This record gives sequence, C-alpha cells and structure tokens, in this order.
Amino acid sequence: MLESILSYGLAVGAVYALIGITYNVMFSASRVFSFTAGMLGMLGGVLGALFIDKLGMNAILGFVLVLACGALLGVVTEILTVRPVLKSIEQHLYVLSTLAFALMVQQVTAIEWGTDAQPFPALIPIDPDSILAIIDQKFWLPLLACIVTIVGLEFLYRRTLIGRAFLAIAEDSYAARALGLPETGLRMASFALAGVIGAMAGFTGAQMLLAYFGNQPILSFYGFVPVALGGMGSNRGAVIGGLALGVFQQAANFLVGGIFAAVAVFAVFIVVLLLRPEGLAGAATARRV
Amino acid sequence: MPTSAPEPLLKISGLSAGYGKIGVLNGIDLTVGAGEIVALLGPNGAGKSTLLKAISGLLPRTGTVTFGGQDMSKTGPREAVNAGLVHVVEGHRVFTQLSVHDNVMLAGYGMNGAELGARVEEALAFFPEIAEKRNDRAVTLSGGQQQMLAVAQGLVRKPRLLMLDEPSAGLSPVLVDRVLTAAAQLRDAGTAILLVEQLIEKALKLADRVYALARGSIVLEAHTSEADLPNRLEHAYFGQDVSAPLAS
Amino acid sequence: MTDIAATAPVRTSWLGRLEGKLSWILLGLVGLALPLLDDSYIGVIAQRAYIYWVLSAGLNLVVGYAGQIAIGWVSMLTLGAYTTAALAAGRVGPEWHPYLALAAGGLMGAVFGVIVGLPALRLRTFYFAMTTLAFSTIVTQVALAWKDVTGGGVGTPGPVFPWPFEPGWGFYYFCFILAALATWVTANIGSSRYGRALVAIRDAEVAAEASGIVKARLFTLIFLLAGALGGVAGGLFASLQSYITPEAFTFEMSVLFFIAILIGGRGSILGPALATIILTALPEFAAPLVQWSTFLYAALLLAIVLLVPGGIADMLDFKNRRPLTLHREIVPRTELLSRVLDRTDGRRAIVLRDISLHFGGVRAIDGLDLEIRSGEVHGLIGPNGSGKTTTLNVISGYYTPKTGTLQLDGADLPFDQPQVRANRRIARTFQTPRLVGAASVLENVMIGGTVHGHASFTEAMLSLPRHKRDERVLREAAMQALATVGLESLAEVRADRLQHSELRFMEIARALMLRPAFLMLDEPAAGLSAEEIRRLGDLIKAISREGVGVLLVEHHADLIFDICDRVTVLNLGKMLAAGTPNEIRSHREVVSAYLGA
Repeated sequence: MLESILSYGLAVGAVYALIGITYNVMFSASRVFSFTAGMLGMLGGVLGALFIDKLGMNAILGFVLVLACGALLGVVTEILTVRPVLKSIEQHLYVLSTLAFALMVQQVTAIEWGTDAQPFPALIPIDPDSILAIIDQKFWLPLLACIVTIVGLEFLYRRTLIGRAFLAIAEDSYAARALGLPETGLRMASFALAGVIGAMAGFTGAQMLLAYFGNQPILSFYGFVPVALGGMGSNRGAVIGGLALGVFQQAANFLVGGIFAAVAVFAVFIVVLLLRPEGLAGAATARRV
Repeated sequence: MPTSAPEPLLKISGLSAGYGKIGVLNGIDLTVGAGEIVALLGPNGAGKSTLLKAISGLLPRTGTVTFGGQDMSKTGPREAVNAGLVHVVEGHRVFTQLSVHDNVMLAGYGMNGAELGARVEEALAFFPEIAEKRNDRAVTLSGGQQQMLAVAQGLVRKPRLLMLDEPSAGLSPVLVDRVLTAAAQLRDAGTAILLVEQLIEKALKLADRVYALARGSIVLEAHTSEADLPNRLEHAYFGQDVSAPLAS
Repeated sequence: MTDIAATAPVRTSWLGRLEGKLSWILLGLVGLALPLLDDSYIGVIAQRAYIYWVLSAGLNLVVGYAGQIAIGWVSMLTLGAYTTAALAAGRVGPEWHPYLALAAGGLMGAVFGVIVGLPALRLRTFYFAMTTLAFSTIVTQVALAWKDVTGGGVGTPGPVFPWPFEPGWGFYYFCFILAALATWVTANIGSSRYGRALVAIRDAEVAAEASGIVKARLFTLIFLLAGALGGVAGGLFASLQSYITPEAFTFEMSVLFFIAILIGGRGSILGPALATIILTALPEFAAPLVQWSTFLYAALLLAIVLLVPGGIADMLDFKNRRPLTLHREIVPRTELLSRVLDRTDGRRAIVLRDISLHFGGVRAIDGLDLEIRSGEVHGLIGPNGSGKTTTLNVISGYYTPKTGTLQLDGADLPFDQPQVRANRRIARTFQTPRLVGAASVLENVMIGGTVHGHASFTEAMLSLPRHKRDERVLREAAMQALATVGLESLAEVRADRLQHSELRFMEIARALMLRPAFLMLDEPAAGLSAEEIRRLGDLIKAISREGVGVLLVEHHADLIFDICDRVTVLNLGKMLAAGTPNEIRSHREVVSAYLGA
C-alpha cells in the first residue's frame, strides 16, 4: 500500500508541481494569475490522446505537436485576455478574462471530444522484463517531465540573457522598460513557455488522469495550492508543495477516503492563506497609501 | 563651449504630461544640443522626473519630441533607447537578484554577443569598485554602488543623450563627485547629458545650460555663465507671490 | 439662501428614475399577470428566473457593490437545495415541514456564505475567486459521496410545498414573492449608507477606512445576507426540479449568475435583474444553443470584461454623457463653514513624541516630535522622501512606528487602526484623490458621513423610519459641505467626470462630513491653478478659524508661507526646523535643504 501511495502520489504531485510552475512562469512576467494553467494541463491529455490514439501519429510527433499547441494557446491567452486588461485601469479583471477564456476552451473540448474520460495510450514500448518496467511509465513520466522542466528553467534563468530578462521584468517591470527591454515580447514568450510546460504536465500525466475535460478545474485548483502556499513565483515551493500535496491526497484516499482529502486540502489552503496571505515562504506586502 | 546648435539633438515643444487626470507638465519647450550638459532644476514636485519620463516615453504625453532629427512623439522607451536616448531612472532601481555583470548586460539586450561583452567592460571600467563585484548579486551593493550600477547600465549603448535623474540622491559627497566626474568624462567623449539634480551648485558647475522647472512649466532658461544665477533661480522657484526674498 | 438642500433639490439620475418605482411596477405587473397565459412551460421558465434572481440579488451586493469576485456562488444553491430536500424528506431525523426546511436551507446558506466569504477580507482577487471556485467543486463532491443524506449520484426528491404555495401557480407566486422580497431588501441596502460603504471599499478602500467604515463587520453582514438568499434559492430550486442530483448544480450556473451581474452593471439592481431573466430564458427559445450555452456565457463574460467593463447600465447612462459646462469655477463659500463644523471649544491637540519608523533598512521617520493644535494651520514641508506623507499616515493609523507615542488630547491614539480615526473626528484627504468614479459627487461626499448614521443594517434593509431619517440628514449635510467648498452645482455628476482640481475640493467636502476636529491634507494644491490655490488657501484658513486643527503637507512654498500659523520642516525623517513662516523663511539650513543650494 505504501508503495502505491508513494508512486501514485508522487506522480500526481509532479503534475500539480508542473501546473504550479505554469502559474509561476506566467505570473512572473505579468503579475497575472491565469486560470488557463489548468486548461493547459487538461488539453495536454486530450490533445495527446487525439493525436496519438485517434489520428495514429507516433508518440514523439504527437508530443511535439501537443507542446506546440500549448505554446500557441499561451500566446493567444496573452494577446486576448492579458494584454488588453493590463492596459486598462481595472487590472484585476484578468481574473475574469482568463477564466472566461479557459471556460470557452473547456466547453469546446466537452462538445468536440466528449464528456467521458477516455484512455491515453502508453507512450514508450517497454519490454516487460526490463528494469524500466518495474515501475509503470505512467508513474515516472510526470516525475521525469518535472525534473526536465526544473533543469531547463534553471538553465534558462542562470545561463541565458533572455532568461535574465524574464527575471528582470519579474522584479521591476518599470526599470526593465526604462532599460529598453521588450516587455510585451518577453511577456508573450513567457506565456508560450508556460503553455509548453502546462501541456507537458497534462501529456505526461494523462496515463493516470486520462484524457478528460473535467481535469481542468481539478488541475486549476490543485496546481494553485502549492503556489499559494509556497509563495508565488517560487518554483521550488511549487515542486515541494506539489509533491507533498500529491502524496497527502493519495494517503488520505487510501486511509480515510477521497472526500475527506478534498475537504482537508481546502481547509488547510484557506487557513494557511488567512494566517499568511503571502504564502508560507512569501514576503510581506507593500504600502497602500 | 558647446551651445545649442541650429539643429539640436533633442527638441521638445509643447509637451504636456501627467498621471491620469493630474496634469503635471504644461507646454514644455526644451532643447539639448549634441555634446552638451543641460541641468534641469526645480523645487520638489515641479515635475522634473515626470519630464524625463515623458521624454523617454515611459509616460504618455502630448506635444512633439524630436531626437536626432527623428520624430519620437509617439514612441516608447524601447525605440528611444535604440535611437540612442537613454534614461537612467531615479532611485537606483537595479535588479537586485541578478549579478552586477548581468545587470549591465541586460542594458544591452538585443545587441550582438561580442560587441555587448566589450561594451559591458567599457561601462564597468568607469566604476572600478563595482567592476570588482561583477559576480555579486546587486542586492549586496550599497545604495551608492547601486547608483553607479544604474549609471553604468546607462552607458552600455553609448547613448547620444543620457538622461540622469538625481544620480546623487542618497550618495556621500565623495561618491557624488565620482558620478558627476563620470558625467563630465562622457561629455568629453561626445555624449550629451540632461541632468536632474538636487545639488544646485554642483549641477551648475558641471552644466553648460540650465532650465528651471516650477509648477509644471519652464520658468527660467540660462547659460551657467550668466551672472546672479542662484538668486534668479530662487525667485523662479518660489514664484512671484513671495514678497520677501529668501535670506541666504 | 438659508437652506442649501432646499434651493438645490436632489434630482435622481436618468437611470435612477428608471430604477425608481416605474420599471419595477411594470415588471411586477407582468409577473402577476403571467399566470393568465396559463402556459405552464413559460411558468416554469419564469420560476427558474425568479429563483436565480433570489440568489443573484444577494450575490449582486457581493460582486456588483463590494466588488468581490465570488464566482463559485452556485455552492450556496447546492447547500440550500440539499438541506431543504434532506430535511423535508426526513433523511436527517424526522421529516421537517417543508417551509421550516426551506428556512433551514436559508440558514445553512447564511452560515456558509460567511465561511466562504470572509476570506475576502484578507485574500486578493485571484485567491478569493479560486477559493469560491474550489468550494463549489468540493460541495458537489461531498454531495456525491454523502449518500445517506444526499442520495449520492442517484439523488433525492425535492420538497413539495403545501398550500398556499402548492405546485403549479401557487409555487409560481411563492417564487415571485420571494424574488420581489429579495429585490426590495437588496435595493434598500444598496441605496443605504451600507451600500455606499460597500462601493467605497470596492473603489477607494483607504478612503473608506478613513471615513470609519469597518470592512469586517460590513462584509460579515453582506455575506450572511447573500448566503441566506442563495440557500433559500436552493430550497426553491430543489422543489422546482422535484428531484435533485449533484449534476444539477453545474459550474455553468455560477457563470450565469456572475455575468448577469456584470452585464447588468455594477452597483445597479434593475440591470442585473433584467439580465438574469434574459439569460435564463434565452437558451429556452434557441434550442440549438443549449449545448453551447456555457460557451456563449463565457464568451459573453470575456466580451464584457474587454469591451464594456461598466456593463449595460453604463452604456445606457445617457445623462452622464451630456457635456458639462467648460470653464467651471470653484468658488468656496467659507461663510457656510460654521454650519458644517462643530465649533471646538477649548484647546485640543494631536501630539507626536519621538516617533521613529523604518521601511526595511530605510529610516522613514527618525525621532520626530510634532504637535497639531486646534485652530491652527500647521505646515509640513521638506524634500521628497523626507517623511511628510509617512508622518500623516502614522497619525491616520496606517503604520505602527518602532518607537514613540501618539496622543489625542492626552489619551493614546492606537496605531495601525485607520478606521477608528473617524470616530475621534480626525479627517484626511489623499495625495491622489480616492473616489468612487461611478457614483455621483453627492454620494461620494455622503460616504464621509457614514459614522453618523444611526440605523442598523436590518433597519436599512427594511427601510424603517430611522434609516430614512439617516438618509435625509446625510444628504442635507453633504449638500451643505458641497456648497461650502463650491461644488454644489456638480452634486449629481458622476465623480469621474470631474476635473482634477474639483476632485481635490470634493475630498475636502467628504472630510468635512465628519465634522472634524482635526483635518489632515496631503498635498491638496498639487495640480491646481494659481487662482485655485489662492481659494484653497482661504478655505483652509477659514476651516482652521472654526477651531479645526489642520495639518497641511505641501510642496507649494507660497501656500505654506501664506496660510500656516506654524511650519515644521522635515529632512531625512528628522525635524530640521520649526517655527512661524517668517522664522522658517530666513532659516539658512531650510533654504539649503529645500532648494538644495
């Protein structure tokens, strides 16, 4: 039992962590939390099943296409729902514009793909006798994706100028603008990057979570919990929080039932935020007057 | 001494700007010639920083801004920077989580790698004490060092006009002189400078010409060689309503 | 010119007139007469619209007035429906009478409305939106799992109400009456000082605090009401459906409620009511659309947010598109001040001793002593970052300094509690005017007098006599204050149409509503013309001569030297000099610090 709690919990947790990173990547370039993070995760599964299972593409081509779709949706999100709102006086309306867009995509999915959860094909043909088969690929794929993402982001932020430009905009967008950094272009790029990460989360997690339009609200929430608790913008917080959340959920599922887990996560989420609105690792807020 | 040439490097006419409904600047006319240092003085709240922001396009404005013969009335800070008009904003807002070197590199975002590397070294060469700390994160620098870093950022693109907003704020007198000396060196290398400064005496010593801004309008324009300038400035600052002159 | 309120009668706006009785009577007549059609299909659609409106009416106060993005409010409908159904069906203990069960549903909604709503006090927009959303998901999951009570996925029958509201047209009238009641109650709140306070919190929170509005108390009441209405709507919904399963409570409904409010316009009652009716009925008359209805609602939401954030009410607000007279002049009438202010007898003072305050490593204020005395104008000047506004913010309760004491008439004034200043009659204005742009100038000024109201929330909700008296008194006082600062001709104009200088005077009028003993002005002359500054100076001086202690933070040296009795000069958070204007003017260090020479 412990084994399945850990394997399933860590795998789901890795998906949550990746969705959390998706939130973060969008947030740091725009100060916007976008409801599209869960949507990207949902689509990663649905589009993967569509390309590979229904259209018969090979796994690699399907994977690349899914990531491309994620990037495209990221760009559309930025242009359609974020850019106009950031220009207006009531910037907090991004909450509604991103939610509306995510709902529209979800509804199209429900109508065109169907409202039933559909299976997702195994991606990598593995000899059942090999070492790789000891743990099912559906468990280690999300973890692998999570590691690749973290290493990739670390390389981007530490080793490339564009990555530093992302960090600069996240810290002080006014100063970045004054220096002549292309703020809009960088914001669009970060939304595309977030699209890739979110789609990858859904794609690699879909053998567990299935290709299901209803994954969207679940991923939206459980991906946001580690971000909110770990402090926004902190990818380390998202990973630790996401994995812990996944294991906790599975343990509760086995021991006391899933409903209790859902209620408990929600209660912890509210209580922690009420006590520390900036998250467990976040910094205090700025002056208001 | 360089004076305003027939075709100035920067020419601003009828510029107005503000924050939302609050109009701060009213019909500003101002020119800066190539290779000239112009000081922009004025009491607090007169709109000096606002004017620099309006010129670089950080703030929306009306009126015309011509730079190097090119109309820049509608463009943003990125176009200004590319044209050689660089604005070092007030408050040494460097990126504290990045290294000193990366901070300077970012100022040349979009330039090709080899050239950028050379330019970064040139800019850092002006300030040996921060060049020493090139691999430290900017958060470890003192306020004065951060200000030097901000000025160094402004140098990377070898601008034709550098706008410095209160580069001396929060600096010790020694450091103030260092920053202002760097400005003089730049002028000698052909860069024009538009300087907003609180330290009037130092600014007047360095500058070729001076504008005084009060209540959102230019109230005085003069060469720094003109007589009785400090007194005229004080009058300009306080407006005509003050009957008794300030003792000094 | 003895009675300002009488000479300048308060006219209601075009939309106000529309919202006023006529359109409601019309709607009511249609509702009453609908059974004459004897079309049960239309009857069911109408019942559903009424039920949705019962919920949306309450949610409208939360979303439209208080500006809180509560998108998962369908959870209240779910809770109310299951509570009513389970109790009436005897799934928990003995069978309850359906009407009692419905009341219990409302109570359940009220309790959870507060539980889900109160985090709004601390959470920012997205966080709060996410919590309400997650809560609605969890309620559905619990409904699925808790089979004993809810019947799980199989469901449970809804309550059947006996005479007089038996199924059919009896139940129709039940829904109709409750919808009318919800409208009346929320409209009363909306137009009361509680409604104005909600809008003030939404658009100008710091100004609301300075006016003594206590957000926690107000939000508790609003979420209680919105939750209760949602719960009652749920009980009715269960009865209408006759059989409920968790799938009946889709997120789509939340979106419908939400966009009805946004389309209808924030701060309006009629707009959201009409939008609810239209959105409920629309899919019924366009059958092929049913599958796409959620998509269309979402698309509509996106379109509204991007294109008309003010909603339909804004688009129809023709009156406020009529051009205002150009070249308006603000002519304060200082002779009216004696009526607006209570003459303060005796000498009163706000005293700061040894106040120090740090922001991170920066010393914003460093050992400052300051005394503001009644009847005097005290000027506070200094370079940028010298701590002027920070000092003002310490007095008005936004910061807790590291050291030092703050006293009013010898008694400690608590730090970090901006909302208690209003009751001590300490008023202030802001560097950037804080206003409710969509409300009229008069309503903005009335916000300043919130603490003078006597009627309770319930009295306001039911529009009882004490509430009506409150409103009359506040309105008259606000007209007086506007006349005093010279803005009475603009009383009915939307505040965001005013010029910047007029907003500065409007803020002073709002501050005067407290009948302040002390008034703190944060750069009131910024952005004013020379003539306006002169008039402002006369007004400030006259206010102080009525016994008010004035603290004036300003950059305009001429104004300071003109009207101040005493001046304190700050530099780097410390007092550089203090004295009469003449002493300061000849102070060498001041000249050098201020001019930087």
